[in-house]
Amino acid sequence: MSMTDGPTPLQTAAAEQAAEEREASSKAAGKSDLAQRGRRKPGYFSDRWHALSRQQQWAFLIIVVVLAYLLPLMNPPIITTEPGNNFALACFDMARFALIAVGLNVVVGYAGLLDLGYVAFFAVGSYCAAMLTSPDSPFLHIPYLWTIPIAMAVTMFFGVVLGVPTLRLRGDYLAIVTLGFGEIVRILATIIPAMKGQVGFQNVGHPPGTEADGTPIFSNSNGVPWYWLTLTIIIIVTLLVGNLERSRVGRAWIAIREDEDAAEIMGVPTFKYKVWAFAIGAAIGGLSGALFAGQVGFVNNQKFDVTTSILFLAAVVLGGAGNKVGAILGGALVSYIPLRFTAIAEYKYLIFGIALVLIMIFRSQGLLPARQRLLAYGRTALNKVTSREGTEPKDTDNPSAGPGTRAAGQRGAEA
Amino acid sequence: MTLLELKDVSVHYGRIQALRNISFTVDEGEVVALIGANGAGKTTTMRTISGLLNCSEGKVTFAGQDITKMKAHIRVVHGISQAPEGRGIFPGMTVMENLDMGTFGRKDRSGVGKDLDRVFDLFPRLKEREKQYGGTMSGGEQQMLAIGRALMSNPKLLLLDEPSMGLAPQFIRQIFKIIKEINNQGTTVLMVEQNANQALAGAHRAFVLETGEITHSGTGKQLLEDPSIKEAYLGVG
Repeated sequence: MSMTDGPTPLQTAAAEQAAEEREASSKAAGKSDLAQRGRRKPGYFSDRWHALSRQQQWAFLIIVVVLAYLLPLMNPPIITTEPGNNFALACFDMARFALIAVGLNVVVGYAGLLDLGYVAFFAVGSYCAAMLTSPDSPFLHIPYLWTIPIAMAVTMFFGVVLGVPTLRLRGDYLAIVTLGFGEIVRILATIIPAMKGQVGFQNVGHPPGTEADGTPIFSNSNGVPWYWLTLTIIIIVTLLVGNLERSRVGRAWIAIREDEDAAEIMGVPTFKYKVWAFAIGAAIGGLSGALFAGQVGFVNNQKFDVTTSILFLAAVVLGGAGNKVGAILGGALVSYIPLRFTAIAEYKYLIFGIALVLIMIFRSQGLLPARQRLLAYGRTALNKVTSREGTEPKDTDNPSAGPGTRAAGQRGAEA
Repeated sequence: MTLLELKDVSVHYGRIQALRNISFTVDEGEVVALIGANGAGKTTTMRTISGLLNCSEGKVTFAGQDITKMKAHIRVVHGISQAPEGRGIFPGMTVMENLDMGTFGRKDRSGVGKDLDRVFDLFPRLKEREKQYGGTMSGGEQQMLAIGRALMSNPKLLLLDEPSMGLAPQFIRQIFKIIKEINNQGTTVLMVEQNANQALAGAHRAFVLETGEITHSGTGKQLLEDPSIKEAYLGVG
């Protein structure tokens, strides 16, 4: 996706220098303070981004969105995945991965819950769409578009069912339980006769509408309408998740991620919010599963293995856990690389493995690191309440405030 | 008036019993210290009161209400606030954001400004560091932040778990001075300390915990003069 187009018009030497100074000073601080390791510092791009005015941000976003919509039609020469793979279908696949990454980011990035079985929710969503629309299914048949909210509701339910018993566990234990859940769903799809195992469901439904010549608009071979649909959904979901992130819920998630016990004794009902993160993440996974089933038109038990789960997680970690734009970028990249470089597609896990190792060494926060700006909003509210002067809400992101105070803090600490 | 009462409280970690039938009370307006060696059960007691641990037997009463089964996040709303051991600040949040998290359980948003002023009054250093990330601050500053954050919920009872841990001596004196001031402003304080000398000097009453049991109790002064305590905890024979 063209979200990668980084450097903005406001590229000034001063900004660069400020960023460098900040980097240097935070490195110096790191020597004496172990706690720093867990700290998320704003990255280079986000500094640039927050230096822009609101209007500039919107203008830039609109250009990016328009370019994103036009992407499969432009079929840019170097970027294109052809002749190996149809570019419009590749775009859909990237969008699908991006949507999954946005969902998984809620669980892993915001609430800090390591979920290794996310593919299970994706599978549940796919099966929902397939079993309610495919002629192979013995169940009632409904229009495809109705299956999307149903798939979300069902996966949300599964998220709660999995979450309530397991979210009392932490860290490694939770990861192992979710890993098990992912396998259970896949194996159930194999052994329950109604889910038809490897035979699967053919002719899964698609959204209505036909071209002038009578062929459906949303056909399996034409990726463009599917891509547009998914992209639109990504934009809506990202806006919703963004609002959530800045709300009381988002603050609770970040606090849980940072320190669960501390969050609890601050009055955060940690269990409730963890279940919410799980349920919302699951619903987005189910949504992308339903889209996937519709586009491919065929669902069986072969697409929902553990490696796919790990691939989803790799997308989030690669992009930057806790940053929704990072997740979109990571998801798109994880899908794009094997499609573009078909010669190396066989080695994709090897390549992602190496890429992840390198990223962890050189950029441990992912390509676009998270800075939970959400509390800036909380502070705006606080300022309103206290009508306090001199604490402008946006100053946290102002690089110039960084080095001086930080260095002073260091001196103060040693004195 | 009794604010907090523990009655025959026992706590188990699996099959290991960490607290054996502990009973004590904290009255409103007091500073009470719990002292004891490593593994005596001090932190366990704190976590039981704040609700992070469940007691296997006994009863915890707060302001006349039985809170034995109450969840930790609801206890905050009722007025118990803890500055946890090892500070437990949110390292990726700024000082202001950390303080803001302290108000999460509050119902009365209107009092937030007053409490923020109070915290900045007690800890002017936090005001200077307002926009700094919690994780980049020194140990002492983090301790201030943890106490300040706990105060942001405007608690009736402030639980301090080893407020002097890992701090330089002159800083420890400052922290205890501040604790005294917090108490003078009307907040009841229950603290756990290894630094028995300072804790006993600053506390109205104190209890000595040994392997999960209370072995001594009395006013801070009495315990300071008790020869057996002197030997065991104050390092003078």
